[in-house]
Amino acid sequence: MSFQQRNVTVSLVNFSLILAFLVIRVLLLIAGGNFNSTQVFRVWGIVIVLAVLVTIFATILTHIVYAILQAIRTGQQNPKLEDFEDERDRLIDLRGTRVTHLVSSIGASLSMLTYVLGQPPLVMFTLLIFFGVVAQIIGDIRRLFLYRRGF
Amino acid sequence: MAKSRIRNKIRTFRFFHDEMTQQQLAEKVGVTRQTIIAMEQEKYSPSLELAFRIARVFGVPLEEVFTYEDEDKSK
Repeated sequence: MSFQQRNVTVSLVNFSLILAFLVIRVLLLIAGGNFNSTQVFRVWGIVIVLAVLVTIFATILTHIVYAILQAIRTGQQNPKLEDFEDERDRLIDLRGTRVTHLVSSIGASLSMLTYVLGQPPLVMFTLLIFFGVVAQIIGDIRRLFLYRRGF
Repeated sequence: MAKSRIRNKIRTFRFFHDEMTQQQLAEKVGVTRQTIIAMEQEKYSPSLELAFRIARVFGVPLEEVFTYEDEDKSK
């Protein structure tokens, strides 16, 4: 597994956990009768902060763990790390991003449709963040699929 | 996925260059080993620049390493 593949896997795990958090939190709010704007926007904030911070820390941690594992494997103190992005990595990333944009666009349209059909705006905002996270997950799955297939 | 019609002889040229490893070739042309593997399996077609760099490593013209298969042959 290449360094870029590891990064995508870590991102996939992160966003899956964030999605689980979001779904559980929203379901608890609905069950507890606290599905109001204050709570929903609080969940929005937590999800966005988690997405940014966890991604940054996970990327740094992946890099450190990869360097340590390479050092153990090669027996060198400063092992050569294949941690750069080449043209194939960039193309795979672009293809994944295309899927992410497609899913988030469809998700945004569906979210707005709920508002048009008479649902409260809170439902639209909750679905917007939900589809944003789902789009990222599907984009990562597409990237991993392309890596596994070769291109 | 449409199958690529670009064929290559990277594996053959590596063999005739003292059994050059995929890692060595990858380092010489500035890509990852996984990209060399994908090219050898003809799953990935390199950019023109990368193709020229690979041909230069082997010291041969581009068309000796990479060929474009005719449309009727690829079917």
